Amino acid sequence: MSETFNDIPWRRQEDLDAYAVRRNVPVWIGGKKVIADRVVKTCCPHNCYDTCGELVYVKDEKVIKIEGDPAHPITKGHLCLKGFANVQKINSPDRVKYPLLRTGERGEGKFRRISWDEAMDWMVDKIQSIQKTYGPEAILEYCYSGNREHMAKAVAGRLWNLMGASKLVGSFCLLSGVAGSVGCVGSQYTMDPQVWADHAQTLFLVGRNCTATNPHIFPFLYRAKERGATIIVVDPYATGVAAKADIHLRPRPGTDGALALGMIHWILAQGLEDKVFIAEKTTGFEELAAYVKEWTPELTERVTTVPKEQIIRTAEILAKTDAMFETGYGQQRYSNGHQTQQALACLAAVCGSFGKPSANYDCISGMAFPGITGFANGAAVSAPKGADIPKTRLVNIAAVARAVHEAQDPPIKGILSYRGGLISQQPDVDYTIEAVKKLDMFVTIEQFMTDDTDYADLVLPACHYLEQYGVHPSYWHNWHQILVPVCQPPYECVPDAEIFAQLGRRLGYEAYFPRETSGLDWCRMLVGEQCDFDAIVSPNGPARNPEKWCPEVPYQTFDTPSGKFEFHSSLLEERGKRFAGHYDPLPVYYEPDESVEATPELAKKYPINIISQHPSFRTHSQYYNLPWIREIEGEARVFLSRKDAEARGIRDGDKVRIFNDRGQLENITARVGIRLKPGVAEMSSGMWVKLGGSVNKLTKLVPAGPRDILAEDGILTEYDPLLDGNTGSYFNTLVEISRMEEQPWK
Amino acid sequence: MEVRQQRILYIDPARCMGCRACETVCKLENDLPAGPRYTMVTEAETGEGETEKLNFLPVPCQHCGDAPCVRACPTGALHKREDGVVLTDRRKCVGCHECLWACPFGVPQFASDGRMSKCTMCVHRLDEGTLPACAANCPAEAILCDTVENISRILRERYGKTVFCGPFADRLNGEAAR
Repeated sequence: MSETFNDIPWRRQEDLDAYAVRRNVPVWIGGKKVIADRVVKTCCPHNCYDTCGELVYVKDEKVIKIEGDPAHPITKGHLCLKGFANVQKINSPDRVKYPLLRTGERGEGKFRRISWDEAMDWMVDKIQSIQKTYGPEAILEYCYSGNREHMAKAVAGRLWNLMGASKLVGSFCLLSGVAGSVGCVGSQYTMDPQVWADHAQTLFLVGRNCTATNPHIFPFLYRAKERGATIIVVDPYATGVAAKADIHLRPRPGTDGALALGMIHWILAQGLEDKVFIAEKTTGFEELAAYVKEWTPELTERVTTVPKEQIIRTAEILAKTDAMFETGYGQQRYSNGHQTQQALACLAAVCGSFGKPSANYDCISGMAFPGITGFANGAAVSAPKGADIPKTRLVNIAAVARAVHEAQDPPIKGILSYRGGLISQQPDVDYTIEAVKKLDMFVTIEQFMTDDTDYADLVLPACHYLEQYGVHPSYWHNWHQILVPVCQPPYECVPDAEIFAQLGRRLGYEAYFPRETSGLDWCRMLVGEQCDFDAIVSPNGPARNPEKWCPEVPYQTFDTPSGKFEFHSSLLEERGKRFAGHYDPLPVYYEPDESVEATPELAKKYPINIISQHPSFRTHSQYYNLPWIREIEGEARVFLSRKDAEARGIRDGDKVRIFNDRGQLENITARVGIRLKPGVAEMSSGMWVKLGGSVNKLTKLVPAGPRDILAEDGILTEYDPLLDGNTGSYFNTLVEISRMEEQPWK
Repeated sequence: MEVRQQRILYIDPARCMGCRACETVCKLENDLPAGPRYTMVTEAETGEGETEKLNFLPVPCQHCGDAPCVRACPTGALHKREDGVVLTDRRKCVGCHECLWACPFGVPQFASDGRMSKCTMCVHRLDEGTLPACAANCPAEAILCDTVENISRILRERYGKTVFCGPFADRLNGEAAR
């Protein structure tokens, strides 16, 4: 049975051959030569350090093959397993193909097909009636990094600004770490990996599972290692990169900050600190030195469970050699995450690991945040000149479910969700579902029928990233490529930016969403005048970001108030005078919200700390439904130590139940081995709730700091992402694990 | 062609870090559905205490010098090309599974038609002078495809020249020198 698809008159038709690197190109598929109509250069925006350059082969407006772009100096023509699985994803028969309106109860997943006209009418009607009854701030977008490019978000932002809707801010991924880092360092930079690969004597990686989240770092790590550099990895989990390390420190989850403090203590006690750097480039050293006095190797061992000999050995290597700090984001997904990153930045400064080709500090590139005039500035699109933009309340994404539950004057009544799995990715699934059920309008723009669509009133057919424009500078390397559509949108799918533009026109803002504005025009407006935009649009690109924003060897200077690295952060201290939270100017260690030390009574009932990695197989919840990925990944698994398994009568391969007061998961396959120390278990994030494997059934909504946004129910009047932080503290979660009474035949 | 000039797929276990990109690039190149897996990354846990770690090894067809599958195949469907590549003539395959019994690595896969298929070292690419898809793509540069002679030379360049720095330098450089 063949389906028919309606024309969408307002969907743009463009000549995509203009982007072809080559045309009529022979390419192998299954041992047969096929002639692709064009090959287009683009990049992957799936929220990963690497932001790979891609060459995409298209025939009859279908993607038939993807390769890495060999001209990309960092990703060098290599892609990850997901990169190739995009061919299966974009061509999947399970795509959402046309608008769907709910017919059953929320959660039942029953829908009927409607036209785009009906869908737009429905949305306009619903939005206007919510605006009329409750006021414009009763509307909120929900959007995260499923496609992390900035352009469509800025176009949507233009609409929310014009409407006076509540504004979504923040992150539940990494801003806690960023706040801790910015507090000491100021603006954030990263150094090109080619530089440290050739110069560093030690590589220090914390909370970074590069196999899954940054595979293209490996050739650079190997280059350094084969030159003779020492690799040190800090991670409670035995990761792929830990397998390549000379030293693997495995702290109790959430204690990485204590580990850094213990190392600083030892370095100072031995007089190994970089005295010249500290004297010339830092302030507040005395305060830090006084605070770390208590962090003796004995105390550090007791808190972190890392043997003190390992702590001392690592501290001495970091202090005595040129050490490159490549910190990740895992270590800051605890309620104390900002303090952890602050402690790591201070450790780097004590070692003098700033501003040298051989020794520098990477947390995140400032180019990740689209607020840089002339490079990527969301406001250039979202705040059109001359428009009357009301100041509205802000809703922090790290507490969005709480905000929906608690918002008054007005309540939050309508959410338009895209590029994010609200139900599967926010902590505490049941609490999130209850929040969604309170809405009068829940619209999702989706590629597949996910956990979210089951609860949606209206599902709109989304474009794959290869079918739309975008701007996604990497937050690790410094090479830039604009995303262009490689093929026309299939079925009745519409690029995100065009959906918002059409909705804007339908809501009466025609002047701000001219029909003739293309995705490329929006991208150009976002990027601004100071970059050579055409040099990064297929068939051109990638190009290195201008030295002005991305110096080859960053951190020659610091743009903190003192102009120096601040061990005692004046930025955080000042911010703390205005807002509730843990704005300690020093990297004071405190226990995560839930842990064997912080909540010993709870730990008697739930003694295992479960953490969740981002696995290679998926970008959060994406790709989970693809046959290639399901085949490789297999069933939902929980990894635990031999000791914990033995104590519970669990054997490798048994089905287990994982539970706490917030929820439970059943029939999860236990994998018993060396990957985790006793007292810790791991279950990867992003598996779908409706398929029974979502670790977020167990996690708690308690955003990491420094700002205590729960005190404000996540509803703010003012917010600074770089100082207020906030991250979902997914990993301070205590559970118990038991063997299922009934085991399938093995 | 002399054996030492035959092409092999070599996996550098010191480099493979378990990303599994080789598995999907292979699926795409060879247009395979879920089912036949021409290569599969195995994970093994070793060590105790401080030495605990994961080890990864992709296992494609080894294209053995004296391939047991070729000897076991009763219909002559399996054969070894002069350049060393072991191939299946699917027209001659009867799906008897003798090759699976003979293969020490579990390489032979059986498609929905019951006949054997497996890694071809991407001969279609080799014959054009490009590398097999997995070797061309490996983000860790762990998969090599070349003659034994050349692979040996590449590995010596990778690991024979290391001069260690830092506090373990004496011990490590000593070991490397031995």
